[in-house]
Amino acid sequence: MHISEGVLSAPVLITGAALAAAGVSIGLKKMDYEKIPQVAVLSSAFFVASLIHVPIGPSSVHLILNGINGLLLGWMSFPSILVALALQAILFQFGGITVLGINTMNMALPGIICYYLLRRLVNREKKLISLTAAFACGLLSVFFSGILVAVSLLFTEQSFMSIAKLVVVAHLPVMIIEGIITLFCVAFLHRVKPELLGGIYGKTT
Amino acid sequence: MEKRHKPTMCLLILFFASILIISTSLPAVAHKVIIFAWVEGDTVFTESKFSDGKKAINSQVLVFDKEGTQLLEGKTNNKGEFSFKIPKLTDLRIILNAGMGHKAEWRIPESEIKEAGSISEKKRAGEFSQPINVGLSKEEIKELIEESLDRKLRPIIRIINESQSKGPSITEIIGGIGYIFGLMGVAIYFKNRGKRRREVNRDN
Repeated sequence: MHISEGVLSAPVLITGAALAAAGVSIGLKKMDYEKIPQVAVLSSAFFVASLIHVPIGPSSVHLILNGINGLLLGWMSFPSILVALALQAILFQFGGITVLGINTMNMALPGIICYYLLRRLVNREKKLISLTAAFACGLLSVFFSGILVAVSLLFTEQSFMSIAKLVVVAHLPVMIIEGIITLFCVAFLHRVKPELLGGIYGKTT
Repeated sequence: MEKRHKPTMCLLILFFASILIISTSLPAVAHKVIIFAWVEGDTVFTESKFSDGKKAINSQVLVFDKEGTQLLEGKTNNKGEFSFKIPKLTDLRIILNAGMGHKAEWRIPESEIKEAGSISEKKRAGEFSQPINVGLSKEEIKELIEESLDRKLRPIIRIINESQSKGPSITEIIGGIGYIFGLMGVAIYFKNRGKRRREVNRDN
């Protein structure tokens, strides 16, 4: 889902970069001392996730892991994903430097949406609700990313619906796999460290 | 205290396990699209694929000249290939549009086209002298060499093409992770310094 260099026009790139910069600054403000290692670990996970290729479906797709990233980090997901994407651009030539902002935006925002939508449900005592919410988080964040990619391509491709459909259909297997991964992560964290799931205000819940 | 460290350890284990999985399935790497083009005679051949080796089928290929005017366009077949006759003696910019924001570019300099083009043009125009005598004309020898070179170099071109699409190596992956943890160290350092400065100010 990395958008390559030279595809988007300057206004789209600048808007993306500005929004991403705002997100990163909010994230950095919220990032306190104890959260830094967690941000780094999830950033590394995001960094390597794009190397895990999913060989199902017509197009070339890979894992994204922005759901679990957003769920655990909230706004701190922005700096976390920015660092990972920058390194992917430099080391793997995935995406690129000029599209860094818009790509960060497309990956981080869905995670944060899921964080606000589903965090309470994930924190529920009842296992069924919690795990269903976790699955939905993994699935929806990829889905929203697909929609955002379609929105960013709106000014270059002919129709929004066709590109959105293309992206979403291509990522269906990824959505399901990410849902399952998020589910297992949440189940695991519930057992060993439930306060981690509370995001930044975890210690109070 | 011990209980606090446990999840971090678990995360780390999870993380290294995922690296292991990746390193065993390294050739299957995705998310970059590549177009590769070469000239043979008066035709330009292109091959397009994703960095995991999957062919970019049914993708749009655009050909531009030096000034940026579009010369022609086409679609890759189900092998990711697309070929066209050289439309004009100029630097060619071949752009692949694989959809979903995937784009790649390959340039063929004018000199390369001139070399390949001049001979086939002459051949078409019947400019070559007929071999009346035993010897071959200079042009004919050149043409023969060109032809056989094209043939002989094809596998090498293919190898270069293949090596282009190699995914990230394990050193790059480990290096990237190293960078992230290095940045973590820097972040902790600065946070810590701020904290200490505040403490010092409070003490004063």
